[in-house]
Parts: sequence; C-alpha cells; structure tokens
Amino acid sequence: MKTEKKRKKIMTMRRRRGLEALMFLSPWLIGTCVLFIYPIFSSVKLSFSEIVRLRGFVMEWVGLENYEYIFAYDINFMPTFLEVVKDTLINTPLTLVFSMVIAMLINRPVFGRGFFRSCFFLPVLLGSGYVMAQLLSIGATGSVGVGIEVPPLLQELLGSSIVSFVQAFLDRITVVLWKSGVQILLFLAGLQGISSSLYEAAKCDGATQWEMFWKITLPSIAPIVLLNFVYSLVTYFASSDNELVQYIIDEVFTETQFGRGAAMGWVYFAFVFLLCGFVFLMARVISSKSERE
Amino acid sequence: MKFTEKIAKIQAIPKDKKNLSLVAATKTKHIIVRIFYYLVLCSLSFVFLYPFIKMIVTSFMSDADLINIVVKWIPEGLRWENYEVAFEQLDYLRYLKNSLLVSGVATVGHLLSCSFVGYGFARYNFRLKGPLFALVILSMLVPIQTIIFPLYMQFANWGWTDSYLPLLVPTFFGYGLNGAFFIFLFRQFFSGLPKEMEEAARIDGCGPLRTFFRIMLPMSKSTILVGTVLSFVWHWNDYFEPSIYVRSVHKQLLPSKLPALYELVNTEEAMELVEEMGAFTINEAIIMAATVLVILPLLIVYAFLQKQFMEGVERSGLTGM
Repeated sequence: MKTEKKRKKIMTMRRRRGLEALMFLSPWLIGTCVLFIYPIFSSVKLSFSEIVRLRGFVMEWVGLENYEYIFAYDINFMPTFLEVVKDTLINTPLTLVFSMVIAMLINRPVFGRGFFRSCFFLPVLLGSGYVMAQLLSIGATGSVGVGIEVPPLLQELLGSSIVSFVQAFLDRITVVLWKSGVQILLFLAGLQGISSSLYEAAKCDGATQWEMFWKITLPSIAPIVLLNFVYSLVTYFASSDNELVQYIIDEVFTETQFGRGAAMGWVYFAFVFLLCGFVFLMARVISSKSERE
Repeated sequence: MKFTEKIAKIQAIPKDKKNLSLVAATKTKHIIVRIFYYLVLCSLSFVFLYPFIKMIVTSFMSDADLINIVVKWIPEGLRWENYEVAFEQLDYLRYLKNSLLVSGVATVGHLLSCSFVGYGFARYNFRLKGPLFALVILSMLVPIQTIIFPLYMQFANWGWTDSYLPLLVPTFFGYGLNGAFFIFLFRQFFSGLPKEMEEAARIDGCGPLRTFFRIMLPMSKSTILVGTVLSFVWHWNDYFEPSIYVRSVHKQLLPSKLPALYELVNTEEAMELVEEMGAFTINEAIIMAATVLVILPLLIVYAFLQKQFMEGVERSGLTGM
C-alpha cells in the first residue's frame, strides 16, 4: 500500500519533469514543425513534381524527371558541383589547420595579445557579406580587389609559372584565413578549457612540446575539431558566394524551374549529408580506437 | 631517456664551465624560438589586417591618388568628401535604421529562444532527447537554399513577404540564421554549470520558469554576450535571406545597398549623380568609403565589447562535450 503510494508520487514527479522539459522545448518544437520539417517535406515533394499553376501552388507528380534532367541534360550542373566539391575538400582541412595553429599561437601569454586577438576576429565582423566579397575581390567589380600580391622583385626572380602558382596559393590562403574567424574562436574556447596542471605534469615527466600537443592538446579538443569540421563544411557549402548555390537560386527564382531547383538542392544536400555522416563515423571510429589503447 | 642523457652530458662538463654554457645555450635557443614565434604571428595577422587597412586607406584617396601607381599606402591628404558622397549615395541614416531594427530584434529573438531551448536540452532527461538533439544538428546542416522556396511560399501564404517578419519571427523559435548554433552554444554552457543551485531553488519552492529567468540567465552573462555579438554580426552581414524576402527598395537593409553602388563605378550616370557634390565620379575610393560606413556600427560595437567578448568565449566551456 505504502510503496504503491510512493510509486505514484515518483511517477507524477517524473511526469512533471517531462512537462517542464516540454515547456522548455516548445518554442523549438513549434519552429521545427513549421519552419523545418514541413518545408523539407514539401521541398522533397516538389523535387518530384512540376508546378502547373503558381497561384495556389498546384503541383503535378512527374517522378524522377527532374533528377533525370539534372544528370542527363543539364551541362552546367555537374561541372559546377564538382568544382565546389573540390574547393571545399581543399579548403576545409586548410581552415582547420590554420585556425588551430592561430588559436594555439594566441593562447599563450604574448606581448600585445589583445591586438592580435582583435586582428583574428576581424573576419567574423566583416565576414560572409558583400563587404567580404568586395574585400576578397570576388565581388561585382574585379578591379577593386585587395589581396596579397607576390612582390615584383620575386616575380622577376621566379618566373611566371611559379609566380602564378604561388599567387593562386596565396589567394586561397587569404580566402581560407578570412573564413576561419569563428573556427579560431571555437578552438580558443576549447584550448582555454584544458587544465594547465596537465601540461605541468607532462613537463615534469620530460615531455617535449611536440609530444604534449599530440598527447594532451589534440585529444582534449577533439570534439571541437569535429564541430569545426562540420561547421566549416556547412558554411562553405551554404555560403551565397558559392557558385552552385547561386546556380540553384537562379534556377528557382530567375528561371522559375521550381521542381528542378528543389531537385538540385536535394542532390547537393545528399552530398553534404553523406560527407558529414562520414566525418562523424570517422570520429567515432578514431575515438573508440584511442579508448582501447 | 633523453632526460638521463642530458644529465649525463651536464655531468660530463667540467664544473666551472657547466652553468655558464648551459645557461647561454638555452637562452639563445629561447630567444630564437621567441623571434620565430612573433614572426609567424605578425605575418598571419598581416594577412588579416591587409585588406582592412587597404580598404581604409583607399577610402581616403582622391582621383589623382587612385591613378598614381606610386601612391599605394599614403594618400596626399585625407579626402573626407568620399565619405560625404558615400553617405549621400547610400541614404545612410534611413537604411542604417532598417538594419539596426532587423539585427537588433533578431538578436533578441535568438537569445531568448535559444537560451530557453538550450536549457531544456541541458537539464532535462526525456525520451527522444537524443533524436531531438540530432535534429538540432541536422537543422544546422541543411543549407537554407534547399528549403527556401517552400518557406517562401509558406510566408507568402501568410502574407509576410516584403516585410521583415520572415527574417524576425523564426529567430523566436530557435530557427533563423544559424539558430541551431546558438541552441548548441547555450546547451554546452548550461551543461557545464553545477546543478546544486537549481536544486536549492527548487526545494525553496521556486518554479522552473522563475529558476530559469532569475538564476540561470543571470549566470550566463558571458554566453549571452557571445551570442549577442555573433547573432548581431551575422544578421547584419547576411544578404541572402533579405534579398529573397524583402523586395521593396525602401525596406532594404544597409549592406544590400552596396551592389547597386558597385554597378555605378565609373559610369556616366554616376558622374551626373555626384557632379553637384564635387566628386568626379563614383570610384573605388567612394566604394571603399561606403563599405567602411556599412561596417562602422559593427566596429563600434565590437570596440566596446571586445574584452568581455573574448572572456565570454574563453568561459563558454566548449571542451566538456
């Protein structure tokens, strides 16, 4: 009798906690249904259909026709797609390495630390808009661009083919660095969270800086490496100065080929999703391996 | 191993030389490492500063300076007229007001909803918690471009197009620009806080809402600051969604005014437009001045919040995932 009463009380406690949780999540749940799940479903449906009448959003089921068009007839989609994929696969690791190095550099006591930090935060302030596009000379007018050039003296010394190669590399690095503001921040936050006693203990045991990096720093910030990886991938793929995104938007809003646009969007997302899934899987495999050791 | 070798070496050196040579060697090594370190740091920060400095320098150049290839860094005198023309051409104050309104309200929306939801994810255990949080991450992964058209149709159905509502309302529901990122940020922060405070409050009869607003939120000042800066800056710079939803010219946001200006560079139309203002034409200098004006509010805000912002980032406790 008594235990039953107790259980009832516990049940109501649990239920109350559940209701409270529901209350805290409710804004997001509403948002998810209206602003995420519903658009996703109608977008998927749209990718298999054709708009017959725009007023009232009347669709007609056409099956795989849109997808067939993308892969078989559209001569621009696949090359642009591959170009974007190639760029992203090069830029993402570069972003990770550079932002981690920079975060580690400004994480130590330095003269003028505040100044350096503000420097590296500049891209977050300016980034991602027309301003950034303008500064990196990928804006509307090519003539106003400001990137770092190979000095004329070196140009004469090295010969044009090497210079153009170095120039391309410098351009890429500039773009990569300018897009890694948030990543630097996240790494910095992660590095700050590592307890300094770990390093002291390692020092006492005679570990070198190099060993400390691999045995302490990297394992401690592994979750942030993952977060940054995904974040970089997503920002590269979704940024509006991405050619493919521009292509899809044109298809929808200029050519009014809504079904095709949606299909392109889903092909694109499928790739992003698979890539992220692969990264998560790799992370899990690596972490389980290191645990076994 | 290495350590014992070192000791052996030190012992091998005659006693009077021992200290001096060792100290000198480590000292020079130390200095070289230090110099190298600053060199790397300075060259990296140069990459970041270069376009920025170039932008500011160019914005003060006169026509003669722009043509003269010798003038690269120091123009002959500051031409404030560039800013006057840019100010006029952007219709600065009007669009500044639009941008401030949108970014401000959206930031408030993000802070309220994302801290609330993040707290729910951090503190409560319920069925489907894992899948639901995976959904948060998923909503971060889906590019907005994939679902923009159905969203647009939906907002059009509600009669929200050509207003700021499609930009603002989603932020109050944990969506909008990078909403999932902020949910994630707050969840990380709240999971790192000790539970004792809330338990004490609960025993004293404090309800969950009051606990959240009176105890947890005041404790998360640093994360709120980080969220404020990031959300404000992102909304300020974003031009994709406004370009889709906001059609009428007078409702446009400040950064969206820039492309129209780019198109006017060195055209006859521009010459006529600015002739009466004493400028030759719309040139690169004026474009750069306009660009500086567009990001000026961000620079001012950041200048004031810089120190607290960095401290907030450091305290956000992102390691304990």
